[in-house]
Amino acid sequence: MRNVVFVLFLLMTACVVKAQYPGYKLISDAADFNTKFAAASQKITTIKSDFVQEKELSLLSEKIVSKGKFWFKRENAVRMEYTQPFQYLMIINGSKIYIKDSQKENKISAKSNKLFEQINKTMMDCVNGSALNNPDFTARVFEAGDTYLAELSPVNKNLKSLFRNINLTVSKKDFSVTKIEMHEPSGDMTTINYINREMNVSLPDALFAIN
Amino acid sequence: MQQFKPVFKTALYNTQVNVVGKHLSGLLIIKTMPDSSTRIVFSNEAGFKFFDFGFTSNDFKVYYVYKEMNKKAVIKTLRKDFQLVLMNRLANAGTYVLKKDSLNYYTFPDGKDHYYYITDSVCKRLLRMERGNESKPVMTAIAEDFKEGMPDTIGITHTNFNFEIGLKRIYHYAER
Repeated sequence: MRNVVFVLFLLMTACVVKAQYPGYKLISDAADFNTKFAAASQKITTIKSDFVQEKELSLLSEKIVSKGKFWFKRENAVRMEYTQPFQYLMIINGSKIYIKDSQKENKISAKSNKLFEQINKTMMDCVNGSALNNPDFTARVFEAGDTYLAELSPVNKNLKSLFRNINLTVSKKDFSVTKIEMHEPSGDMTTINYINREMNVSLPDALFAIN
Repeated sequence: MQQFKPVFKTALYNTQVNVVGKHLSGLLIIKTMPDSSTRIVFSNEAGFKFFDFGFTSNDFKVYYVYKEMNKKAVIKTLRKDFQLVLMNRLANAGTYVLKKDSLNYYTFPDGKDHYYYITDSVCKRLLRMERGNESKPVMTAIAEDFKEGMPDTIGITHTNFNFEIGLKRIYHYAER
């Protein structure tokens, strides 16, 4: 009887997982994925890409789509430049953040703001491959066809108030992140799709300079 | 006064906020819901949400507010400022009109607050909006260049402390 219950439980869990990420199945050896992901990420020294960001407001049934360009340079420099339908530039370089909107520019030290520091670290971890080892999250990894899906669930209260989970779509071919989904507790979601990606091209430091 | 009331189906605004020396930018969406309430959601450009408020003609609801903004005074100020601009306090009792310097002050008391809608002498143009007590305004707002019932530009300026909000409409934001 106990076995039947256990099998039923497994089936139910499998159904839940299936419903959650259609087509994906949970992989049992997440440690193996982690090692491969981290090793492959180490080989990515730069990324140059376009991105499409979609902000879905679930209760309002509205979607805001914005586009721009993205640059990453190992170890921890990111430049995100929104060009449509508004102008917005964000550079993260180590613990420094620079933001330029249509009116003003702002420099923030991530260290001065615990929340910014956490968001900053989370974002950087997502692109540089260390996300799965970040103690701020627990991770489950799923696979389907030519992609993995890494589901990161925040552990601490601060991050939990912002994200229900963050899902990374990772290409099996080169272990690069092709999509980031940030699910908020309210059901709203922000998705960033990276398209026209070029890896390991030479990027001038000036792109990431914060003076 | 109803003729000047904005009708927000859905409008997205590029938003600039200056508050006591700090600057914040983002995207603000105003939408009329099927139940005729109005939702105002403000997030930054990267999608990080600051607040989500719901307004009806006699009620107000906080659906979400970012922890560091979750202060009674902040929410109250934002609620009243947006109520003035949304013009959803027009059904209040005790309405009266003052005439001064060939302008009409359409006045809508709301408890201790007074919402003023200031027009030219023939009530053809809404020149500005004000909120305050009976003797002096604490903030002024404008809504201009209406297209399909929705203003292209909205400005909110407080006179008693350094706080201003500027909204400029973004028209094409939903297609890929």
